[in-house]
Amino acid sequence: MTDTTVLKPPPKLRADANSGWLRWAVDWIMPLIVVVMMVYFTMTTNNFLTAANLSAILTQNASTFVVAAVAGLLLMAGYADLSVGSMLALSGVAAGLTFNAAGVWAGIAVGLGSGLLVGAINGGLIGFLGLSPIVVTLGGLAGERALALYLSPDQVYGFPPAVSQFANASFGGVSLIGWLAIIICAGALFVTAALPLGRQVQAIGVNSRAAFLVGLRVKRTVFLLYAAVGLAVGVAALMQIARLDSAPSGTLGVGFEVTVLTAILLGGIPFTGGRGSLWRVLVGVWLLAVLRNGLTLLNYGPEIAGMVTGAVLVFAAGLQAFTELVRRRS
Amino acid sequence: MAAEQRVRIEDLRKAFGGNEVLKGIALDLADGEVHALLGANGAGKSTLLGCLSGATRPDGGVIHISDHQYRGFTPQEAFDAGIAIIYQHFQLIGPLTIADNIFLGSELRTAFGTIDKKRQDKEAGEVLRRLGVELDPAARVETLSVGHQQMVEIARSIRRKPQVLILDEPTAALGVHEVDALLKLVRHLAHTENLAVVYVTHLLAEVLEVADSATILRDGRVLWTRPRADFALDQLVDGISPAAGQGPAARINTETFGPPVLNASGFNTGRSGPVNLEVRAGEVVGIFGLMGSGRTDLLETLAGVRRGSGSPVQIDDTPAEYNSPRKAGRSGLALVPADRKTQALFGDMAAIDNLLMPHYAKLSRPWRRRSQETAAFERTAHEVSLTPRNASLSADQFSGGNAQKLSVGRWASGLSTVRCLLLDEPTQGVDVGARHELYTLVRTFAHDHDAGVVFASSDPEEVLALADRVIVLVEGRVVRSCSVVELDEFTLTALAQPQTTKKAV
Repeated sequence: MTDTTVLKPPPKLRADANSGWLRWAVDWIMPLIVVVMMVYFTMTTNNFLTAANLSAILTQNASTFVVAAVAGLLLMAGYADLSVGSMLALSGVAAGLTFNAAGVWAGIAVGLGSGLLVGAINGGLIGFLGLSPIVVTLGGLAGERALALYLSPDQVYGFPPAVSQFANASFGGVSLIGWLAIIICAGALFVTAALPLGRQVQAIGVNSRAAFLVGLRVKRTVFLLYAAVGLAVGVAALMQIARLDSAPSGTLGVGFEVTVLTAILLGGIPFTGGRGSLWRVLVGVWLLAVLRNGLTLLNYGPEIAGMVTGAVLVFAAGLQAFTELVRRRS
Repeated sequence: MAAEQRVRIEDLRKAFGGNEVLKGIALDLADGEVHALLGANGAGKSTLLGCLSGATRPDGGVIHISDHQYRGFTPQEAFDAGIAIIYQHFQLIGPLTIADNIFLGSELRTAFGTIDKKRQDKEAGEVLRRLGVELDPAARVETLSVGHQQMVEIARSIRRKPQVLILDEPTAALGVHEVDALLKLVRHLAHTENLAVVYVTHLLAEVLEVADSATILRDGRVLWTRPRADFALDQLVDGISPAAGQGPAARINTETFGPPVLNASGFNTGRSGPVNLEVRAGEVVGIFGLMGSGRTDLLETLAGVRRGSGSPVQIDDTPAEYNSPRKAGRSGLALVPADRKTQALFGDMAAIDNLLMPHYAKLSRPWRRRSQETAAFERTAHEVSLTPRNASLSADQFSGGNAQKLSVGRWASGLSTVRCLLLDEPTQGVDVGARHELYTLVRTFAHDHDAGVVFASSDPEEVLALADRVIVLVEGRVVRSCSVVELDEFTLTALAQPQTTKKAV
């Protein structure tokens, strides 16, 4: 086709050429920061860039990877879930109690099932009844933690040995938990890229009215996304209590929602949805993970890591504003 | 009445991207006079109002107000110059009281700097009484009827002692009694308060009742300005009918339509009906009606956006039961909404996504194949002559006409299996050239796919150019259904006036 030759280039394309390097910078700043950070920690510590440490980072953050991959898709549609931390505690405690009462397989089923159930309730209230996502999941944040404490005021421990055997098992230098996270993240990436779902979710985030008029099942999609987040939280809960070999109802998953949301926002998905991408979210999880690991290796305490996470969140907001500015200018 | 020239507009010009919309408007507004401003769609009414309100900056011309000269305004400057505009959508804050709304931004203070509620209530009450409305200034605005809210909006403008009061389609949302009250008030404001009032409307009965003079815009120019004694209904209808000329777009297959694709008999929507509608394969049916005639309501109900009542719609002689756009789509009905930006397009997403969104599921078995998607995009973009034919350009970067091609092309192309396409204001905000491309696109689709098309429009020219058959809708009822060849601009414009007009004349 030769029709492009007769077309006057629209102004947008010319502006694009001018701000091309800016766009490029905005697109690649996150991966770039990760690389710079990793180089810095490699130079300042002895054992950052070792297979054992990198594998440990993956294992320690497997639960964040799993939940961020799914919650990122949810936020892409314009819906947030603030309750994942408390939901993780609830699922973890429920699974832990069942481990001790009825065995490993029953515990796994209860861990996954409780997450799925709570997620489906969120999805029903928000997707089908149209309640406010912020209010509903804020309620979940408060209520599900309390429910976990009600189920077991003290930490649940003394799991069957198979649980810790699983947590410590590895294959090819990477823990099974790490592999599980990799498989789930790859699955999420595949689903968004290879199935129409990814586009449809983004369409809902960009203009849900138009999505509805065009014939997409907006309500059902929102419901399913919340349910999927619940299921992912169930998986994450099992990962965490297996690694801890206990389920501390008071501390399990505390601040987890902040970590997950920070990673998602770093991935360029704004609270209003419609923009960003899943692989960037995963880069965001890795960035936070590397940052915390490096700070620990440099002997900074968890309070420093907390402050840095807060600062990174504000940085993510600035990055999004800047991205938006560049986008508008072109 | 001293007809002092308060406002004088000279040679006002405005072009959007080479498209001249105002070609030198001259207009005098006198104190104590209601001046009606009329014109067909695209005549330049809204651009002129935009120039006066400060929303649009004119390219040339002068606006004299009292002793000052202006070459354009920002909204704040327009306000300071004494121009008050009441839009169809009120700018009121529902949970606040009447007095709070009237004094919003210029609150009266007590000696302590707090808001002086008592004095505000008292003064608000006085303003309202001057307008002849008995309302409690402490009542919350959201509890008022639309008519009363409008009174509050007017009271707020009047308190600031404007030079000109502009009312943009003020009766669009009002009931019959409220309209009477408003017209009385408008006359009162002009004649007693000695204000220059500009009354913008398409309802000719109101013009005859309220105006002291009238100006008709046509194609960016003033067609005429006359005092009330010098015009009657005929002159108004003649003036706002677009110039006959263009004629219907080349008809591909006049009068050789196939079997019915859509058949609705006794179809009721929430606000309109019963409507009998039959669309045959290859036929384009135009629904003509003014704002508030129920045309959008009718299309949205047919498209499953809202629920209708009565017997189900028949598509290809099969009854179709649906309660959502998705299910309507399965039955072969698709809607192209009027408001592209908020209802149709995914602004941030690429052109290819915008075209293929309803078809991704079908194209992705078992998963997405980029080559197939690109091919589908190229085919469709070619079919609708999208410019630029750039798959990754986001929808909000396209011009109005090409953005509309994305919205229409989703359904009116080889991609879809639509049996009857529904379009609401298919060329709103589209320039003339692209308009005819869209007409051709829609007609070609109907012909090549043996599909039916129903479109709604408030533009008589568009109805005559695009439709094979026309249904005129007035206040939710069909007043005429006939072949397009029996109609001209004048007849259409006259037919679409509400019954009250016919009584008034």
